Amino acid sequence: MQVRQRRGRSARVGTSLGLIGLLAVLALVAVTGLDWAQSTLYVQLHSFGDTRGVTVLSPLVDLEKDFSDRTGLRVKFGVDAVTAASDACARCHPQGAQDRRTYADFALLRKLGSARLELGGEISRENFYASESVTASLSRDFNRGNTTIAGAYSFSLNNPELHPSRNVEQQISHDASIALTQTLSKTTIVQLSYDFNRISGYQSSPFLRTSVNGQMVLGVVPDLRNRQAVSVRVRQALHAGTYLQADFRHYFDSWSVGSNTLSLGASHYFSPVWLVGFSYRWYDQTGAFFYQPEYFGTPEYFTADYRLAPFSSGLYTGRVVYTPEDGLFGLPKGTALEFQYDRYVGSNQFQAAVFSGGLRIPF
Amino acid sequence: MRGRRSTLSFLLAAMVAGGAAPGAQAVAPGQPAPDLRLQAEDGKVVSLAADKGKVVLVDFWASWCPPCKTAFPEVDSLYREFQPRGFDVIAVNLDERRRDAEDFLAGRPHVMQVAFDPEGKSPRAFGLWGMPSSFLVGRDGRVRFVHVGYSGKVLDSYRREIEQLLAERP
Amino acid sequence: MRQRTRVMVLVGGVVLCSALAASCATVQPWERRELANPCMVFDASAAQAAYDAHWQSAREGSAGGFGFQGGGCGCK
Repeated sequence: MQVRQRRGRSARVGTSLGLIGLLAVLALVAVTGLDWAQSTLYVQLHSFGDTRGVTVLSPLVDLEKDFSDRTGLRVKFGVDAVTAASDACARCHPQGAQDRRTYADFALLRKLGSARLELGGEISRENFYASESVTASLSRDFNRGNTTIAGAYSFSLNNPELHPSRNVEQQISHDASIALTQTLSKTTIVQLSYDFNRISGYQSSPFLRTSVNGQMVLGVVPDLRNRQAVSVRVRQALHAGTYLQADFRHYFDSWSVGSNTLSLGASHYFSPVWLVGFSYRWYDQTGAFFYQPEYFGTPEYFTADYRLAPFSSGLYTGRVVYTPEDGLFGLPKGTALEFQYDRYVGSNQFQAAVFSGGLRIPF
Repeated sequence: MRGRRSTLSFLLAAMVAGGAAPGAQAVAPGQPAPDLRLQAEDGKVVSLAADKGKVVLVDFWASWCPPCKTAFPEVDSLYREFQPRGFDVIAVNLDERRRDAEDFLAGRPHVMQVAFDPEGKSPRAFGLWGMPSSFLVGRDGRVRFVHVGYSGKVLDSYRREIEQLLAERP
Repeated sequence: MRQRTRVMVLVGGVVLCSALAASCATVQPWERRELANPCMVFDASAAQAAYDAHWQSAREGSAGGFGFQGGGCGCK
């Protein structure tokens, strides 16, 4: 009885937050007559399915509105309807389990001469996980907009709820990052960035069990994880409406997980109305120093989290954007319809497919 | 630790303070407007000198610049409204490919003069540092107001400034 | 796997070096036609980039590193 009441309560909180988010979006859309500049409404639907038995249908609404030439507001509201028939859930829920994550994201943007300040936050709620975060970022243009230096800091408070004990754990995350964006020519631009993330608190998976001396137990991992990433990204315009993208990231952390990610892509305008793009992403990671497929003796740390195992993967992405000359469905000129399909293939027998459809409306 | 923290605060302050300052080297209000001689849509030559005695808005725009798309019909309306009183507009297009400009203009009927400067000589002369930029030149041939960027607030400023300049005698 | 890693780091290094080796020209604000194209903007769709980062970090051991939008028309 108590469990059902608490589940009902979190669903209610989720719904209330959802309503608040929706009202906020509607209020902003209704507010016209203010000083106008470029504003964009973006409605997206994602469909995610993987071989761990998880399917997620996620609609989201993202509104970016300029209130003046100096101030802007961005509000994002989304729902992830998570259906999990995964091995972890099937233990107790052979018919599968359903969960819903509701999140709302907002940011206030302010231009200060050639500098730009952004302050924002995000609230996320689902059955066994609550998260709040605040972010501040500052960027400045130099050299007639050819060079941009940006820095950001975010703080998150996460509360995973263990299952089925219902104990609520805590996790704190600090994230600091900087980036340098440099125009190299009229057709080439590069970005270098560094990201540092420090997570302290409960970081085990509350659902996955591993074998320690033949017994299936929940994992125990270190309380502290320092994660770092260095990346470089390049965009190159070729003749005749063709563009190349290359992204590289090197990641390493204090659990000895290290990875390299390289993604290469190309896009081409078959006409001013049709844009088609394709990219491939290589990913390769080492395992955490304490990762084993099964454990014996008295290990200090043990985990069943497949994300801490060594593996590699490939991700194919195809994208189509349709921007008709005179608007779409009666919506303003410049409205675009976008579709993206991702296919993820891991060496750990994990596979996922993602389909995204979106409508971008400038107003 | 203290040293690092104060360095960080100083850097942050410098970034913001530096950012609040205006851009470098644009032709400042009060200075004479640089000479402008460009080809217009009809092939004829357009020049600022020919507009001496009038109030002129020199508006730099390009087809790929989103605020320019919003500004274009509004600047044309300004021209229609104030032209009988001695106001002129030279909408200088900076597209490197004439085709892009022509595609843009084809769908946008307008009365004001559009001139082409694909080589970018005139924005260089005016010290343009951001797109879009506009320079309001008074009857005395001097730049009187400069606007970088576009919004409804800028449009309101134009009206006030044009009225003020029209009221002046050369 | 180490061989694969080495190859990827090498390709990444080549990309970086060739990018920096090209002379850093000052591009004027009116010369940004190509740079204004969404294909040339880093994370042109912030919402799509956030979603991709979200599910990838939920299925991999790495996170972060590509957080910033950048480039574009530079319009004021």
